[in-house]
Amino acid sequence: MSKSDLSPKTLKPIAQGRSAHYVMAGIGVAAMLALLSVVLPLAVQGLPRLNMDFLFKPPRELGGGGIGPEILNTLIMVGLSQCISLPLAIIIAIYRVEYDHIRHLARWFDQGLQIVLSLPTMVIGLIVVDVAIVRWHWPISVESGILVLSLINWPFAVFLTVQVLQRIPDEWREASRALGASRWQTITRLILPVAWADIIELTGLTVARLMGETAALIYTAGLNVTSRFAFSAPGETVAVHLWYIRTEGLMPDADQVAAATGLVLLLLVIAVLWVSQKFAEWVKNANL
Amino acid sequence: MKIDKVMDRVTHTVFALFLVVWLSVAGIIVWGTWRFISHYGFLSPILSSRWNPLAGQFGLWPFILGSLTVTVLAVVIAFPGSLALSVLGSRILQGIWRRYFVRLLMVFVSVPSVLYGWWGLIVIVPWVRRLSGTSGYGMLSASVVLGLMILPTFSILSLEAIRQVPESYVEGSVGLGATEDQTLWRIILPAARPRLVQAALIAVARGLGETIAVQMVIGGQIGGPGLLHPAATLTTQLLTDLPFLPPGVPGHDVLDFMAFDLMVLMTIIVWLQMRIGSWRYE
Amino acid sequence: MTRTSDETTPDIEVHQLSVWYGQTPALRNVNLNISAGQILAIIGPSGCGKSTFLRVLNRMIERFSDVRVEGTVRVGSFNVLDDHVDVTQLRRAVGMVFQHPNPFPMTIFDNVAYGPRIFGMRSSTQLRKTVEDSLKQAALWDEVRGKLRRGAGTLSGGQQQRLCIARALAVNPRVLLLDEPTASLDPVSAAKIEELIVQLKSQYTMVIVTHNLQQAARVSDLVAFFEQGRLIEMGNTQEMFTAPREKRTEEFLTGRFD
Repeated sequence: MSKSDLSPKTLKPIAQGRSAHYVMAGIGVAAMLALLSVVLPLAVQGLPRLNMDFLFKPPRELGGGGIGPEILNTLIMVGLSQCISLPLAIIIAIYRVEYDHIRHLARWFDQGLQIVLSLPTMVIGLIVVDVAIVRWHWPISVESGILVLSLINWPFAVFLTVQVLQRIPDEWREASRALGASRWQTITRLILPVAWADIIELTGLTVARLMGETAALIYTAGLNVTSRFAFSAPGETVAVHLWYIRTEGLMPDADQVAAATGLVLLLLVIAVLWVSQKFAEWVKNANL
Repeated sequence: MKIDKVMDRVTHTVFALFLVVWLSVAGIIVWGTWRFISHYGFLSPILSSRWNPLAGQFGLWPFILGSLTVTVLAVVIAFPGSLALSVLGSRILQGIWRRYFVRLLMVFVSVPSVLYGWWGLIVIVPWVRRLSGTSGYGMLSASVVLGLMILPTFSILSLEAIRQVPESYVEGSVGLGATEDQTLWRIILPAARPRLVQAALIAVARGLGETIAVQMVIGGQIGGPGLLHPAATLTTQLLTDLPFLPPGVPGHDVLDFMAFDLMVLMTIIVWLQMRIGSWRYE
Repeated sequence: MTRTSDETTPDIEVHQLSVWYGQTPALRNVNLNISAGQILAIIGPSGCGKSTFLRVLNRMIERFSDVRVEGTVRVGSFNVLDDHVDVTQLRRAVGMVFQHPNPFPMTIFDNVAYGPRIFGMRSSTQLRKTVEDSLKQAALWDEVRGKLRRGAGTLSGGQQQRLCIARALAVNPRVLLLDEPTASLDPVSAAKIEELIVQLKSQYTMVIVTHNLQQAARVSDLVAFFEQGRLIEMGNTQEMFTAPREKRTEEFLTGRFD
């Protein structure tokens, strides 16, 4: 006997004693709007200025220039510093999680990592100025910038990768070892394939963070660009450029240029997050 | 196995490199600090307010006070918003709404701080200027900017804290006849409290370490007392004084000392975090 | 057998109850009545709708998303599936004990006092008396007296489950719902819980979901056998176990069940 013709009613939760939740939702929406108010004026003011000339031409102090070299510098510096620091970070994370050599020192390692991690990036900039630029006579340049960014990223990437590896259940490792796999066979055949997707997604976060780094680059990569890219030439990034025109620059159209520069920076960050997420999803699905 | 031998060696080398690099960083800071302290003492620069490095006066108190004030105010400003956002994202929104909400918050976590600084310059500083009749640059503007900057991080961490509360607690409470509100105040938030405090501490650490967003709106000199006058923090002063005190100049060591102070503050925060992480009901 | 209220007025009355999760049916046309003070044991294979049925009785089912219902459920004076039922009062009257002990991360005292406080009890002497009475009723008092300020997490699994029962009893329910209350416990703790259920028999109407047929036989007055969301058979415990009417029931009870 079918009763499907009598459509059954959906059981809705009874809204009883939820007023605090409504208040929270209200405050939350207001906070969200406040955050959006940071981004929206950027789009409104910056969009008219965003064209091919702006994206590819070099900047001009008298106004009307673009940020082409800055974009190139940002991409190269962030890309290369990731290439240096990410593999090193993954190895450290493997040592922390997969090896039992430092198990009894793990607490110390974690605390030290936390301290290094929360060190202001400005302090790392200061150290690089002290050591690389003054003592080793490196120029204020792209390569010094890469050094700074690598140093900033290294502990951060270690921290995130350790979290990913620690989420993998120990039973899997034991199962693999019980089958006779060695440590590195376990790591390369089991641990890393499982962890890749998450590592890629979190790497998106670290790339976005490096793209926005400003303070530590001002005295290491500098505030200038040259017409042709060189590792030993000053390498102002998009974020530093934005800071420069807003605080020291004298361009007549500084407001517009700043907004457009900020918009480019924001779009770069969003693109990185989006791509890393899609890539991570793709890896995850390819694994299954 | 051969690959194991090779990889073991690689791993150990990289780990040694990691230790060497970061111990040297700490070493450089401590060494500079030592040189500074042996000349000028430890407590007197911290407690003095006279800052004229080229004349040999290194009073750091205004900057320490600036750092602490701006950070604490920023966390206080961000707290209600982040609590609300975390409750919204963990207990009110469901399904696909929740997913997009968290994703949007993650974007805001990644928005570069220089953009928050820019926003402070075009929105907050003029606004404070109009309300107070001062220049608009100062600790109040800096706190608001910093508060908004740490809001997404603070919210995401709080949201994680609330999500860690087992659903069985909620069922137990609701099953007794408690309303959603009562369950939130009496069960969920107390159970999440250690992790919420940790989230706040991470927000404090982020605030203390932030340089550029604060530097853009705080004004940069030591003005009068109060929140409305131009001021400086340890990090912003590092940024503005590095060109005037290059290595080799006698005053350069004070920068290492400032970095050392920041490192000590961070160590205290990390230590507190670890202590709270082991909070349990006996 | 003693009964606290009139046997002729059913305390729980379920009429033509059907439940769907989205498009998936979970319960189909269930009809049953339980008189006040009786213990109903619900048995059946996994996924037969036992827990769903239990969660309908105190409307906890509404916490799942996309639940659709049909029919009427009456518990005492509550029309459970009505859109305007007072859920807090309903759940106060219908206590629930879960499969895994879920004491709150608070002291033992605060756990038991949680319900009374929710419903506005402030006076500390009253609270202390309620907590003591509830713990005595749950046969836990002798083990925890003098330790009320300790965290509930320090208790053993069986003690935690009895604490959860005490917590439920502290708000004076009329009905107790027990969702496999001994499934996660060791045999000795399970036996204590069972003993406790038998002791509480006269004072509460109880519905207990269990996988343990012996347990059902030992504690219950009535047994209902569910299969694939349908109530196959319900009857007096002794009759059910000795002479079931339905073939499926017999197969299930004798273990010849696919």
